[in-house]
Amino acid sequence: MISAYYLQIIILAGINIIMAASLNLITGFTGQLSIGHAAFMSIGAYSSALATLALGFPFLPSLLFGAFVAAFFGVLVGVPTLKLKGDYLAIATLGFGEIVRIVFLNLEITGGAVGLRGIPKNTTLLWVIVAVLLTLFVLNRILNSRVGRALIAIREDETAAESMGINTTYFKTLAFGVGAFFAGIGGGLFSHYFRYIHPGSFGFMRSIEHLCMVVLGGLGNMWGSVLGAVALTTIPEFLRASADYRQLFYGAILVIMMRVRPQGLIGERMAGKSFSLGDSILKKLSITKKTGF
Amino acid sequence: MKMNKSYFNVLAVLLLSFVLVFAAAGCTQPGTAPEQEDGANGESAGSVVVKLGTVGPLTGGAATYGTSVRNGVKIAVDEFNDNEEAPGIFLELVSEDSEGDWSKAANAFSKLIDQDKVDVIVGAVLSSETEAGGPIVKSAKVPTISPSSTSTGLTLDNPYLFRNCLSDEVQASQLAEYAVEELGLGKFAILYTNNDYGVALKNAFEETANSLGEVLAVEAFMDNDENFKPQLTSIQQKDPEAIFVAGYYTEAAKIAQQAVEQGLEVQFLGADGFYSPVLVEIGGDTVEGAIFTAGFHSGDESPTVQNFVNTYEELFGEEPDMFAAQAYDAARIVIEAIKSKGTTSEQIREGLAETKDFPGITGNTSIDEEGDTIKDVLILKVTDGVFERIR
Amino acid sequence: MFFQQLINGIVLGSTYALIALGYTMVYGIIELINFAHGEIYMFGAFVGMTLVTVYQMPFVPAFLLAMALAALLGITVEFFAYRPLRRSSRLAALISAIGASIFLQNLALLVKGARPYSFPSPFASEVYKTSLFTISRVELIILAISFLLMLGLTFLIQKTKIGIAMRATAQDKDTASLMGIDINSVITITFAVGSALGAAAGVMVGVYFRTVTPMMGLMPGLKGFVAAVLGGIGSIPGAMLGGLLLGIAEVMGAAYISSQYRDAIAFAILIVVLLFKPAGLIGRSLQVKV
Repeated sequence: MISAYYLQIIILAGINIIMAASLNLITGFTGQLSIGHAAFMSIGAYSSALATLALGFPFLPSLLFGAFVAAFFGVLVGVPTLKLKGDYLAIATLGFGEIVRIVFLNLEITGGAVGLRGIPKNTTLLWVIVAVLLTLFVLNRILNSRVGRALIAIREDETAAESMGINTTYFKTLAFGVGAFFAGIGGGLFSHYFRYIHPGSFGFMRSIEHLCMVVLGGLGNMWGSVLGAVALTTIPEFLRASADYRQLFYGAILVIMMRVRPQGLIGERMAGKSFSLGDSILKKLSITKKTGF
Repeated sequence: MKMNKSYFNVLAVLLLSFVLVFAAAGCTQPGTAPEQEDGANGESAGSVVVKLGTVGPLTGGAATYGTSVRNGVKIAVDEFNDNEEAPGIFLELVSEDSEGDWSKAANAFSKLIDQDKVDVIVGAVLSSETEAGGPIVKSAKVPTISPSSTSTGLTLDNPYLFRNCLSDEVQASQLAEYAVEELGLGKFAILYTNNDYGVALKNAFEETANSLGEVLAVEAFMDNDENFKPQLTSIQQKDPEAIFVAGYYTEAAKIAQQAVEQGLEVQFLGADGFYSPVLVEIGGDTVEGAIFTAGFHSGDESPTVQNFVNTYEELFGEEPDMFAAQAYDAARIVIEAIKSKGTTSEQIREGLAETKDFPGITGNTSIDEEGDTIKDVLILKVTDGVFERIR
Repeated sequence: MFFQQLINGIVLGSTYALIALGYTMVYGIIELINFAHGEIYMFGAFVGMTLVTVYQMPFVPAFLLAMALAALLGITVEFFAYRPLRRSSRLAALISAIGASIFLQNLALLVKGARPYSFPSPFASEVYKTSLFTISRVELIILAISFLLMLGLTFLIQKTKIGIAMRATAQDKDTASLMGIDINSVITITFAVGSALGAAAGVMVGVYFRTVTPMMGLMPGLKGFVAAVLGGIGSIPGAMLGGLLLGIAEVMGAAYISSQYRDAIAFAILIVVLLFKPAGLIGRSLQVKV
């Protein structure tokens, strides 16, 4: 029998794997830098919790409900913002994330600043394992299909992809929608595990954490996201032993890990060694030719 | 570049091994109290060690509140051990950081319960943190008393969750009554911090003030904001006689300062969030005359209060704020429960639930059947840079 | 009231603009979002506060020394956290920057503690009233210093040799280095100048709001970054404009729409601006080479 603490860390690691893998689809494979993934997570968390509490949905339908609402917002945000490139897209997603957080903080139905309490504890280890496996399976199938090749083509060279007849807007929006869908699942598992949610945990630092998992694991590599999510979930817990120096070490570890493995834990070295600003930003996002698993 | 890199790798390995050593040593090291040594020696065969955990933000934007709470608890624990208040019983303190994020607070709660096997917890600090910890301590049956989470209904349906703090509703409505009846004020503006604390205070104050007088303007701000000029400019247009600031001391001091700077000469009112020497340090002359409710008054001449204030200043080099005082009392209430009932979690829980007229430094404290606190509300006024009790 | 709010917005915006300049300069040269910039701002405020309160130094030398020390810190951070990653992916450098930011913030927390420090204002708290608005002496000084620093920076970039080297490096590193420009020293100087500006903002905000805390860099750091993007990241006049606009948008949103939704309004404006000007207000439009 494992202790409740280890169980909690394993469940959180599982949820983080879903978050990192779905963000990897957007950032690692499609090359669209997003710093607002926590927004989709919070949308999923709140809508599935409200579906359970107010509409009396069973767990699976409420999870799916949260995921679809998140996907809807993913597409809604994706359509206008995806013409933005690189850091401009990043800042737009960051802005979206902050807007979502502030709206949840002020709405009556979400409990506002008090938060939403009394959510039933439906998330179990089994649910999380199944959700992680399904997420990885579905993402892998997408990446090894025509769609996946189109996404990678967009990452490698958007203009060339467009000229090859790939509808880049459609595929980018699709990536955002699918990424948001799984982030919504992660959020639903999150709220039904803690039984309580508050906007404070879905700020931009949470989005940054997701991004760290993806980059640390290796952009464009799903196994990398798994490893990155597990590492960044467990490291802060190991560091509890260092008491007051915990966050200091955490910062130092991020710097050191990037210095030692700039390409991520699993990932190939950047192909081009060019340091020219003439290269498109998109090209610089791509660091691996590997696809999928 | 090459040399540089290998040098760096050595540094990296050193740092990582440092971390690992900490991790290995950390299982037994609760990160506090040099005095523990004495206690550990004093503890001979047959003595009982009671583990007391704290959860609160030690890093991040709310770190100042969490640090005060940990300091207050540490004084109570040290006092208990040093004075051998209950021979044969030794208290061990384990503090965990929540980063001010409730989901990380939940990890801290679980870690304290499962790894450290604590018997009782003082925490968490922010209401959202305690909300997230509630279900965990309930299912693990570990009694928990929060020194500062004021959120309405927090302790309902949870026999293991208690708190030791003033109710937002009670203090805001009493303050509004006092402002109208004793100070003769009638036209109010409210500036509140947009979290559960600020919102609850705002709602209660608005209701009472509207029934007795009139609330002309209500404006919000965010935790850790620095610039209040837009809200104050809007409030100035309405020309109120008093501003009720529903928030904490740092923001309150800045609000007073910026208000006076732009020529807004009004009476400042506040709640227990004002109680910190920082209010006067930063606010200076501009907070002079501010009136606020509190549970604690360091000017109180009772020996327990003076003893606490002196010890706190000696150990931490600063005056305690209300977080520290309430945390100290919360830990003292736990200690009383241990003395009267026993050292197991269940016995401590019984003791906490039966707390009645505990003579704390934050006033006489009783805990009702829902785990909520009943205590007196003091009204303080800043006079010559010192807090003076006016009721 | 409108003019008063406008003045409030301009004062707030000019501090954002100074922070944004540090971001935009670094970005212009190495395309790195220097996440640790908010911590440099905090460090500058702490140095200024310590020099004024503990060492009783007059304001101007304290201000300059804070800028100089922050410049050194900026160079150090660049050397340890960014330089080794210069040939890696941009995101690796971004994560390293985030790590550096967390590290510096918590170092300050360990050394200084969490409780806010008071930064007594070295200026008389005089207030000037006109029929439309009132403005305090501190606010006038902040506006004047910001204006002077921006003027000085524009001169540095446009007229001096190092400025020309910076612009050349920003345009094309390889060609610049073929022309005999030492890229490493240009990057070092860029970090130094950007960090000094961040520290200047930190000291001024510390004096203005009379507080210094280890956490003070968090939100202004984010806002400064947003301002830089709003103006067009990499563009120096863009950062100034973006900072001012963000400050005004925030104040007007809080004043006329809802103070609860203040930041949401500012971010919504940002997104709308980006939809119409996808490379910011004065940004270089991104040319995708085929």
